[in-house]
Amino acid sequence: MKKIRVVSRIDIKNEYAIKGIHLEGLRKIGDPNEMALDYYKNGIDEIVLMDAVAALYDRNSLKDVIEKATQDIFIPITVGGGIRLLEDIQDILNAGADKVAINTQAIKDPSFITEASKKFGSQCIVASVVAKQVGENSWEAYVDNAREPTGVDVLEWVKRVEELGAGEIMLTSIDKEGTKRGFDIKLNKAVSELTTLPIISSGGAGSCEDVIELCKSADIDAVALASILHYKISTIDDIKQTLLKNGIEVRADA
Amino acid sequence: MSERLEAYYGLPQEVKFCKKCVISNQRPSSTVEFKNSKENKKEVINFDENGVCSACSYHEEKEKSVNWEEREKKLEELLSKFRRTDGGYDVIIPGSGGKDSAFTAHILKYKYNMNPLTVTWAPHLYTDIGWKNMQEWMHTGGLDNMLYTPNGKLHRLLTKLSFENMLHPFQPFIVGQKIIGPLMAQKFGVKLVMYGENQAEYGNRVDQNTHSVMNPEFFSISDPLEMQFGGVSMSEIIDNYDFTINDFTPYIPPKLESLMESKIEMHYLGYYLQWDPQECYYYAVENTGFQANSERTEGSYSKYSSIDDKIDPFHYFTTLIKFGIGRATYDASQEVRNEKITREEASYLVKKYDTEFPKKFFKEFLDYVSLTEDEFWEIVDKHRSPHIWKKDADEWRLRHSVNNDGYDD
Amino acid sequence: MPNITIIDYGLGNIRSLKNAFEHLGINSALSRDKAVILNSDAIILPGVGAFGHAMDILKEYDLVSTISEFALSGKPLLGICLGMQLLFDESEEFGMTKGLGLIEGRVRKLQNVHKLPHIGWSRLYKNIKSEKTILDGLNDKAEFYFIHTYAVGTDDAYILSSSKYDNAEFCSSVKKDNIYGCQFHPEKSGKFGLKILENFINIAREVKI
Repeated sequence: MKKIRVVSRIDIKNEYAIKGIHLEGLRKIGDPNEMALDYYKNGIDEIVLMDAVAALYDRNSLKDVIEKATQDIFIPITVGGGIRLLEDIQDILNAGADKVAINTQAIKDPSFITEASKKFGSQCIVASVVAKQVGENSWEAYVDNAREPTGVDVLEWVKRVEELGAGEIMLTSIDKEGTKRGFDIKLNKAVSELTTLPIISSGGAGSCEDVIELCKSADIDAVALASILHYKISTIDDIKQTLLKNGIEVRADA
Repeated sequence: MSERLEAYYGLPQEVKFCKKCVISNQRPSSTVEFKNSKENKKEVINFDENGVCSACSYHEEKEKSVNWEEREKKLEELLSKFRRTDGGYDVIIPGSGGKDSAFTAHILKYKYNMNPLTVTWAPHLYTDIGWKNMQEWMHTGGLDNMLYTPNGKLHRLLTKLSFENMLHPFQPFIVGQKIIGPLMAQKFGVKLVMYGENQAEYGNRVDQNTHSVMNPEFFSISDPLEMQFGGVSMSEIIDNYDFTINDFTPYIPPKLESLMESKIEMHYLGYYLQWDPQECYYYAVENTGFQANSERTEGSYSKYSSIDDKIDPFHYFTTLIKFGIGRATYDASQEVRNEKITREEASYLVKKYDTEFPKKFFKEFLDYVSLTEDEFWEIVDKHRSPHIWKKDADEWRLRHSVNNDGYDD
Repeated sequence: MPNITIIDYGLGNIRSLKNAFEHLGINSALSRDKAVILNSDAIILPGVGAFGHAMDILKEYDLVSTISEFALSGKPLLGICLGMQLLFDESEEFGMTKGLGLIEGRVRKLQNVHKLPHIGWSRLYKNIKSEKTILDGLNDKAEFYFIHTYAVGTDDAYILSSSKYDNAEFCSSVKKDNIYGCQFHPEKSGKFGLKILENFINIAREVKI
């Protein structure tokens, strides 16, 4: 029985946690460290911290947040947003994070994934793929926090990132992100059929049923939840209990 | 710099930037467009003795002193005066289905129980996303709409003239857009017109904000033939081109006397409810099926601000040419005031995007105004004020920028 | 309080380990200095990434003999993730590479699985006696965080616990005398992971006395 990881995704701008829709909009919703700690104490399996404006301002500024988070939180932490150099990855890992999510730089220069996974180990390297549907069965990859199209086909790209040496894929649907209307099932299904890398699905969860639908329709390995948790639509416990009741295994509180 | 440079349009000689946001003192205030000609000295945004622009001062004042509960009560009082429950419309809401009008119309109908008719002055050329959002506004948002599209032949000519003579291609559009609210109110026997945001927030004179009713000067005229389009009077256009006064129907505003007789009132929702364009975006997505554009707007960083007209980017390009400030400056300044971004971040965005040329719809624009690329650049370059631009070898460079990296900085 | 040193050779999330120990009241040292290591009451060998690469670095920093010497002292040593794999004789990763050889056994790729690496939470199925080991007093249902592509094959006598992933069953923790290893990340496994580290601290304390 496959076990699904329940992950919380927190987008950050400076010292604020923010939440957009379709990755647009910077509505402040709280203190990222407080939120992360709260989710940790309530049984979340993993935390993803994304710098929502790193690409916009050509900087990365999550160091403080990461350091604080890793002091009190003892579950895996993945950090992404604006990672351009091997030094950036080193800094983030030194601050206590376990994995880094890379998008823009990887598309600009795919060899970056290979270099990074050679140096830090492929399990540290998550390929962040941000997808927008452009055809019945095709999606285009976007970069710069969904601000710029690239002309790159997502289904081709996910095959490539595996070859390049990534250890995991985080797949975000621009169309569904922040809408609380469910995941992009088609996208997740298509991608999961093309790669043997574990997949974290991000974008669209608005209810427990959305998560169940995704887990039953696509061979993904983790669900990244944002709006549903940040706007307190559902609790982590509710979600996990509902998943268990519906035959989906999760890490339960012992 | 001892050389005294000519400043076109009567703009302030010295270029300064607001200490709080990133707007410059060259930003023009709204004018009565059909009285606007090239020779007019432009009224610009005011800067106080601390170098802070009036939009920021107004915003601060608003933050500190406005009692929003009281204002909402006033809104409810106002609306109850006009609310109908017999099947007739009771408020006209001009807008395009963008985030601001989407918010205004939906909230008035579904929270405040009014019966709005939204009216749209058609964009020059709808973008796909603009059309989609317009439709969603109706279908998902649950609203009624009248789409008013002016005679394209004339509209294109007026746009062309405005572009050539004043580098202001949006002038005819602005005329029509301002008129359509009261015009439709008259036609439908509705006495209330509700706009969204108050332009004064962005830099008109502060005294224009103290009254919630719109300035009647904006829509009254004694003799239509004297109306100016691109600096050319209607009678001249009629004489030189194949049009009659009847072709100008969409641009002739209702007479002030008849509006007053009909007791039509015009208000800004932004006076009664705390206005946050970003929150309008969220509201519109959640309630009216609004979708941001899939890519960033050229000349700025935003994906959801005015995305429905292919000609729109050229409006901002011409503000860059005439006043040295582009779309990023406008968008970023407003976000600084609303505390979404810091001034430092705004400056960075200006540096990154402000001077970007909108090439996506360039060909459509040239076709629309019947100009060649060379003619386009000739006209553009003619309008670069020497006190703002310097030609450096083959490149035009801004003399001043908010990042202090202009040619003269 | 026992003094614990985390071997800092550039691989592995040592900051999280240090934070975890701090959370448990121990100010651990981060070092690759021979004297510091040998003088410690207990050491941790972390590790993430490729086996061969890690061994090269350990050799470069002259840590191979240091760690072996420490192992002989009888004081507790805990290898985590790749650190656990390094304790063994050799690994198949990128052709046969020799490890530290402190415990007999070999590192092999996980078999019969659809996706790799294994990333996720799994229970520990206890094998040999767990009292007074790092698994002492642990709730049977407790789950731990794993992220690995390879796993250890060794003598049953050393297997402290095994775990399951997809169709594979693999060794998740080991004990040989004073040498411990966990394939999972105790510093990333929430409160139960901290319990594992707490047990390790207690073992160190006992030995110290």
